[in-house]
Amino acid sequence: MTQYLLQISLAGLAQGSLYALTALGLVVIYNASTVVNFAHGAMGMAATYVAYVLISQLHVPVPLAFVGAIAAAFILGAVVQALLLERLNGAPILTQVVVTLGLFMFLEGVLGLAFGYNPRPMAPPIAIAPVTVAGLVLRPQDIVQLALLVALGVALAALFGATKLGLGMRAITENTYAARLMGIPVGRVLGTAWGLGVLLAAVAAILAAPTTSVTPNMMDTIVVYGFIAAILGGFGSLVGAVVGGLILGVIVNMIDAFLAPELAMSIVFGLLVLVLYVRPDGLFGRKAVQKV
Amino acid sequence: MPRYAVTVPVVIIAAVLPLVLQLIGERQVYWLFVVSEFFVFAIVAISLDLLMGRTGQISLGHSGFVAVGAYTAAILNARFGVDLLGGAFAGGSLAAIASLFLGVPATRLRGHYLGIVTLGFGIAVDQIALKWDALTGGDQGLHLHRPTLLGLDVGTPVLMYYVALIALIVATLLVWSLTRTRLGRAFAAVKDSEIAAAAMGVPVASTKVVAFVCSAFLAGAAGGIYAFLAGFVAPEDFGIDSSLLFFAMVVIGGMGSIPGAIGGAIIVDAIKNAAATVSGLSLAILGGMIVLVVLFFPGGLKALLRRHAAKRTTLDRTRNATVPLDA
Amino acid sequence: MLEARGVTVRFGGLVAVDRLDLEVPDTGIFALVGPNGAGKTTLINALSRVCSIASGSVRVNGTDVLELLPHQVVSAGVARSFQRAELFPTLTVLENLLVGLHSEMTTGLEGALMTPSTRRQEKAARVRAERLLRELNLWELRDFSPADLPYGHQKLLDVARALISEPKLLLLDEPFAGLTEAETPRLLACIAGAGRRCAVLMIEHHFELLEGIAERVTVMNFGRKIAEGSPSGVRRDPEVLRCYLGTGRHGQAETAAC
Ligand SMILES: Nc1ncnc2c1ncn2[C@@H]1O[C@H](COP(=O)(O)OP(=O)(O)O)[C@@H](O)[C@H]1O
Ligand SMILES: [Mg+2]
Repeated sequence: MTQYLLQISLAGLAQGSLYALTALGLVVIYNASTVVNFAHGAMGMAATYVAYVLISQLHVPVPLAFVGAIAAAFILGAVVQALLLERLNGAPILTQVVVTLGLFMFLEGVLGLAFGYNPRPMAPPIAIAPVTVAGLVLRPQDIVQLALLVALGVALAALFGATKLGLGMRAITENTYAARLMGIPVGRVLGTAWGLGVLLAAVAAILAAPTTSVTPNMMDTIVVYGFIAAILGGFGSLVGAVVGGLILGVIVNMIDAFLAPELAMSIVFGLLVLVLYVRPDGLFGRKAVQKV
Repeated sequence: MPRYAVTVPVVIIAAVLPLVLQLIGERQVYWLFVVSEFFVFAIVAISLDLLMGRTGQISLGHSGFVAVGAYTAAILNARFGVDLLGGAFAGGSLAAIASLFLGVPATRLRGHYLGIVTLGFGIAVDQIALKWDALTGGDQGLHLHRPTLLGLDVGTPVLMYYVALIALIVATLLVWSLTRTRLGRAFAAVKDSEIAAAAMGVPVASTKVVAFVCSAFLAGAAGGIYAFLAGFVAPEDFGIDSSLLFFAMVVIGGMGSIPGAIGGAIIVDAIKNAAATVSGLSLAILGGMIVLVVLFFPGGLKALLRRHAAKRTTLDRTRNATVPLDA
Repeated sequence: MLEARGVTVRFGGLVAVDRLDLEVPDTGIFALVGPNGAGKTTLINALSRVCSIASGSVRVNGTDVLELLPHQVVSAGVARSFQRAELFPTLTVLENLLVGLHSEMTTGLEGALMTPSTRRQEKAARVRAERLLRELNLWELRDFSPADLPYGHQKLLDVARALISEPKLLLLDEPFAGLTEAETPRLLACIAGAGRRCAVLMIEHHFELLEGIAERVTVMNFGRKIAEGSPSGVRRDPEVLRCYLGTGRHGQAETAAC
């Protein structure tokens, strides 16, 4: 039984790493621009189609295709920031959130028109058979996911902690107007943050693709779990997003194994509401300070 | 209502439409249903506009409240023979209770939490309706009895058309009156400036919850009416896709305006019906329209129409606008 | 009317208001001056419960204000205006004033039914708002959105919205900042009128304006009270002169406001 529990938790952590990557991207974007990007999953999905087209139609080698897709994701994020969000500078947050929702619908619809809703297969990046260690089955894919999460998490922490970009982002979060006066290139910093955030969504989507297949709504479930993971983590903390995502992955896998997989979202959602009653700022969040 | 010049002709046209369809004679029942369905959707759009346009709160799961209302009405009707009025009222009430449960934690927090929580709610309602088949009929759905209203049989397409039309008029009047009185002004105050609203004595958090509950009640009541109109409810009627349609109605129509919400409902419903055969088409069009509206026509359809009407009156307005303070 | 003792407000490590005492009698106009970032807005925010107070006590007419939630302050007789006129652009000018009467009215959801009591309340509130609009010469603008008004009119409306609840203590944050020469006298008359009925605590940099109307001026710098007295007396205070040197004579270049 403990073996089985361990196995499920391990698979849950691997699944949770996708939620964590998605949540990380959401938090990076939110921290810089205070916008919750509802097009997050759709943008990651669009990047996966780039990988799909590169691999199966242009026969580009798989690693190169992934690099291309991730670069495309970064550009997509930066372009969306420059073309849509920058124009709404100073508009109420609601307006900015509405535009990301419109973008979500647009991307899903356009890719549905272009490729149809039939799932397209995507081979796993590593085709090695699972190995058994101490009675636990380790799928290489799972290991890659967790390793990537750790690597990207550490890289982000270093980027925001120790570089001018991180400093600029914090200054903008604090006070965009003052940051502009201080000569911080606000547009460029925000564009980078959006690019990085969408890049993280694309990594999650590409990693998910072998199991979900490539479809316009492949990210719908994952991104909702990503939102929930970000809220559990206090919507603002990178560590919180990672921990929230991993915990959520384990919970979802437990529900799938022991309760009712078809009610997983409902149960998780019920838990989220309960958490919000007890800990309004998430499991790790600090209280948000409002400026007058 | 002010502007009788617009509303009176619109209501008259809506009232004689069944006669016109009768005269044309072709596919009358189908068109009656399409327009009646639109009336119900317009009620949902008005309810969502009360929340989004008036109070500045977002909901991405409004079809969840419609579903709660529709299933409540259907179950009460199928099991206990509850009539349309009772079904709509019970549906609205249960949706309101659900929204209270969600709204209390979510509206206290940063604005986007409500968007995410309602998104989750919409998905959860769908899943539960499918799973709990003893109550809801699962994916088989649930049939209703022939609709009655206060003892009268309203089970014909024409009568249901008038029921839906009257429901839309009543919903419009209720929301319009609400926005013209103390509570409705508080909704707008909370949207525009929470700090100033609080300084004027408006309790910000509970006002948001009240707006959310009002909105959910209306959406649930519309769901109850929808169940009687369709005669049948099934989970696929209330997915996230229909939540996005309601969202699109409010944005495209122009947030914070009842005529805007109704106009948005016309546009979105027409696009949905016209583009139904090509999957992805209506989503792409509506998503593109939302982005364009937000960027280039922030007031939506309402502002476009008003700009046209305003051309004549700008002159008087500017003359008034410059009354000096020390006159 | 107002009795504040040892009021201290902190933002992280910054002490924005530092152990400040302030007393204001039942009527009259009292001014708060000081260079940019002195903590004047923060003090008003603290008195109106927008900011929480680290230590100290605030009593208005005997009521402990710190016990109240932000939206209850107005019922205790404290109304305020904002440095950058925080109006409600969704509503009309008239409706903005009606929000000022929110806590005096009781209509809730029954407003949707336009019950007789709703109609009665609305009528009475409208009569009051319309009277005030006529007094302030804003009557013609009643159906406009405040967003379409010139800035001076917006500031006037902001003060009017605070005034309409007939507060016992009126807190005004730089009501004259941004007004033109022509717009000033009407607002001045309005505030002078209020000062005869209630206590007005007003942030204002122009000593010329204060000379005629303010009974007492409290000067703040770095969160502390550095001088207090009549407008002309305070103006000659050496410490006050020193802190104004370099900020410009009136220290009006407000940018980072609370
Ligand atoms: N919400 C806030 N968070 C952090 N610091 C603040 C906040 N509000 C004001 N401050 C700081 O407190 C000090 C006093 O500001 P303020 O009261 O606005 O000054 P004044 O109105 O006298 O110009 C300033 O240093 C300002 O930067
Ligand atoms: Mg100030």
